[in-house]
Amino acid sequence: MGRLFQQIGPIGATFVALVFGLFALACSNNPYPGEDEGKKVLYLPFSTSPKTLDPAISYGTADTVVTNKVFDTLLEYHYLERPYRLLPSMAKSIPEGETLEDGRVRYTFHLRPHIRFAPDECFRLSLGEQGVKNGRATTAQDFVFEIQRIADPSISSPVIEPFSHLYGFREYREALEKKRKSDKDFSKLRIDEQYAKAGEFPGAVAVDEHTLVITLKDAYPQILYWFAMPFTTPVPWEAAQYYNGKEGRSPLAEHPVATGAFVVTAYDKQAHMVLEPNPNWWGLKNPDAPGAKFPEVPEGKEWDDVRPAAGKSLPLVDRVEYRMEKEAIPQFNKFLQGYYDFSGITRESFDKVIHEGGLSPEMEKVGIRLDKDVDPGVYYLGFNMDDPTVGTAGGERSRALRQAMSLALDVEEYLRLFANGRGVLAQSPIPPGIFGYDESYKNSYRNFDMEHAAQILKAAGLENGIDPKTKKPLRLSFDVPDTSPEGRMRFLFWVNQWRKLGLNVQLEATGYNQFYEKMIKGGYQIYTWGWMADYPDPENFLFLLTGPMARSESGGPNNANFKNKEYDKLFDQMAYLENGDERLRIIHQMRAILEKERPWIELFHPESYSLGHGWMKYARPTGISTIAAAKYYDLDPKRRSMARTEWNRPILWPAFALLLVILAILAPGVLTYYKERT
Amino acid sequence: MLAYIIRRSSYGVVVLFGVVLFLFFLFFTASSPDDIARQAVGEKALPEVLKQWKINHGYHLPIWPGPGHWDENLLFDHMRKMLTLDFGRSDADEVLIWNRVRAGAGPSFFLTLPIFVIGLALSIVISLFVAFFRETYIDKMGVLLAVLAMSTSTLLYIIGGQFLLGKLLRWYPVSGFDPSPSVIWRFLALPVLVGVASSLGSSVRFYRTVFVEEIHKDYVRTARAKGAGEMRIMVAHVLRNSLVPILTQVVMAIPFLFTGSLLLEAGFGIPGLGAVTFEAIEANDFSTLRAMVFLGSLLFIMGQILTDLSYTLVDPRIRLE
Repeated sequence: MGRLFQQIGPIGATFVALVFGLFALACSNNPYPGEDEGKKVLYLPFSTSPKTLDPAISYGTADTVVTNKVFDTLLEYHYLERPYRLLPSMAKSIPEGETLEDGRVRYTFHLRPHIRFAPDECFRLSLGEQGVKNGRATTAQDFVFEIQRIADPSISSPVIEPFSHLYGFREYREALEKKRKSDKDFSKLRIDEQYAKAGEFPGAVAVDEHTLVITLKDAYPQILYWFAMPFTTPVPWEAAQYYNGKEGRSPLAEHPVATGAFVVTAYDKQAHMVLEPNPNWWGLKNPDAPGAKFPEVPEGKEWDDVRPAAGKSLPLVDRVEYRMEKEAIPQFNKFLQGYYDFSGITRESFDKVIHEGGLSPEMEKVGIRLDKDVDPGVYYLGFNMDDPTVGTAGGERSRALRQAMSLALDVEEYLRLFANGRGVLAQSPIPPGIFGYDESYKNSYRNFDMEHAAQILKAAGLENGIDPKTKKPLRLSFDVPDTSPEGRMRFLFWVNQWRKLGLNVQLEATGYNQFYEKMIKGGYQIYTWGWMADYPDPENFLFLLTGPMARSESGGPNNANFKNKEYDKLFDQMAYLENGDERLRIIHQMRAILEKERPWIELFHPESYSLGHGWMKYARPTGISTIAAAKYYDLDPKRRSMARTEWNRPILWPAFALLLVILAILAPGVLTYYKERT
Repeated sequence: MLAYIIRRSSYGVVVLFGVVLFLFFLFFTASSPDDIARQAVGEKALPEVLKQWKINHGYHLPIWPGPGHWDENLLFDHMRKMLTLDFGRSDADEVLIWNRVRAGAGPSFFLTLPIFVIGLALSIVISLFVAFFRETYIDKMGVLLAVLAMSTSTLLYIIGGQFLLGKLLRWYPVSGFDPSPSVIWRFLALPVLVGVASSLGSSVRFYRTVFVEEIHKDYVRTARAKGAGEMRIMVAHVLRNSLVPILTQVVMAIPFLFTGSLLLEAGFGIPGLGAVTFEAIEANDFSTLRAMVFLGSLLFIMGQILTDLSYTLVDPRIRLE
């Protein structure tokens, strides 16, 4: 036995000590280096890497974790008020549209003073060392530059459609493309010089350093909402020129240069991102501007915890730290350990967290807060109105079929089974929080009533779903972009309810791409889809059913191919009206058309639940992801630090117990062996 | 020897060519350039934007070669890029793929190297131990536990490890990664433990079989007759003579230390190359995916050649011709 240790003893012992040492050294579940204890650092998870931080391209919600904090815009939304209200941000006021003689509409934005880009290496191009240290003053031309970038075909911005309302946008886009193709030297010019020399763009003009004039070719009041989105944030030409992804420099998609309340100080989008307050933020020099201080708080008891914040200078936290969490379960566990300040709720832990619609006592005990928020979106099932069986061509009979199918769906039960009850039953396409939503409105075909559904079918000559021509149940197809077993279960829920009417509905589940292909080619009858608002205006929902947006006509998002002249006429009136009684009256008329015609079966408006720890202050859900909510948050780092210590003391005895058990099991065998053989 | 290396390498090039070609067929039978573009620009974008994106990213070319575009098509472009190692930029977010590979190789290596070293050492020690106590209850229990460990899915190890050691006992962070030296071990401990545990079962079974087979050979009996101690027999004779099958496994694994582990990295949120591959699959990011598959195959082929070479080092009887 002695020789045994002589031979392998030293190496083995070092190895074992090393391994155990490493594991012991590692023995703490705190995922952060300790030096930040006591600082107001906001810790948040993110599950999907931002795709791009180029404001002309960025459209996805994954991007907004960064873009809504770094890109300030001329206008922004009130943090607390619903329905959403626009406030002036970098603009001194919200401009009124002036209608010009030929139907064009002009908006004049006056910039606040002291707006500067955050210090960045790219300003060496224009201002040398000074620019690198202090950034550069932002001018109206920087806003024009960004709009020109949206028009630039080489950037492939996804929002050229709304910006085509700008006078001369299309022409400018074409001129730029033509110049680049015909003149090779043109492409070698500096990017802002290319834009300047490409041609006229009367739609966006910097009259002087502080005045931006936007001219639309026709009335489109929704343009103002686009000035509350990162698409229209000012971008310095230096950044576009310098961050081109060449010679070891990042592309602009990875390196924002902006004027927002925060700047990105670490950006490893596969693992972690850090944002810190921008020393050049315009809000510091314009402390009374609406976006620079915490807004006035509405009346009511539910706002009491937020009230002390009113009027405070923003931002309130020292830093925002994001950590990648691909999987929901570890993310939620880290939230429960106090290492994340906010969290959604995983399906696995829903019953543990939520009790009869509110927080469970267990969660309440540790001071967690629950916020429910209805997202500005709608899920629906649509009928292809071009289809002879379910669509317009089928006349009265098809309409009755759509009405009956709408009545046969029990959305409440669906939400209970598949979404833990999260969602608000939809009666029209317009979700809560958006002008035109009416809580008291009941769509006569959106309650669950099998009897009524059967009666309608019978009256239309489709008794028990039997097609009088074939004497067999009417056969319909239902296309869904989800082939997972869970998705199948969810969609079969609808199918089974229709089957109860006697209809033979076949579920056609394909991958998203094939589904999309079908939508483009038009060979579908019933489909499922959802829509999230770009901006909080009923126009952004009701346009989804207008004739000019029909998929079969223009490739637009009206997949139902619903073409109703009356509806389109009303839409054109409604779209350009200010919110008010007249607008509401027209919306009600449009709603009535949809109620009767049933191109859609509106299912529900999704609802998100979010959890926040007791040390978080002034946090409220925002619904629209472009709102820079983090600017308004505050926290009590001492309380957090204490909770973390208390919740995370390691339990070590099982390690020793395990070691003992192993020894106890092995010892008799080893001893016997040596007794018998040596 | 040199002739052998050259011959093997040229086989490798042919295999690589085949893999790259096959990947292209597979990818473009399952999806189209439109799908890739759609994924990149979002479902709300107009057809015009989709078209422009395809032009900007070279996906407007025809997929297959044909009259008039023999050298201007996606297949030709794909083969040229792969064979010149010019991976270009990611379809999803325009990042240079080489940059991503460089950024991901580090974390992957930090994760897989300890798993590899600790796993190898531990499985050899345990296998020697159970082989030494063969046919006693220790050996039988070893077999039982190893089979049990082998039959458990890696996912269960990940979830179970996170639950038990991260959540219940609070030894390690449940997930995450931070390369700063003060905390990196905290993050690596749990995935390394899980990685070692999940591979231990099969390697212990394998190495035990190898050792037991060696133990019954004549030279072992001779050594024992000459009075060598049991431990010397195990370590100096049995282990040394079992090196060929061990090396096959070991050398084969070395190139893959850089490609990381798909499941572990995704489960623990470690930003390595496994996670890059995982994300590329999710995002329909053809350009990144093909680069990862290409690198994977390249490393695999290199691993095979290295394994063959290493035989000659441990067993002088083997000659490569």
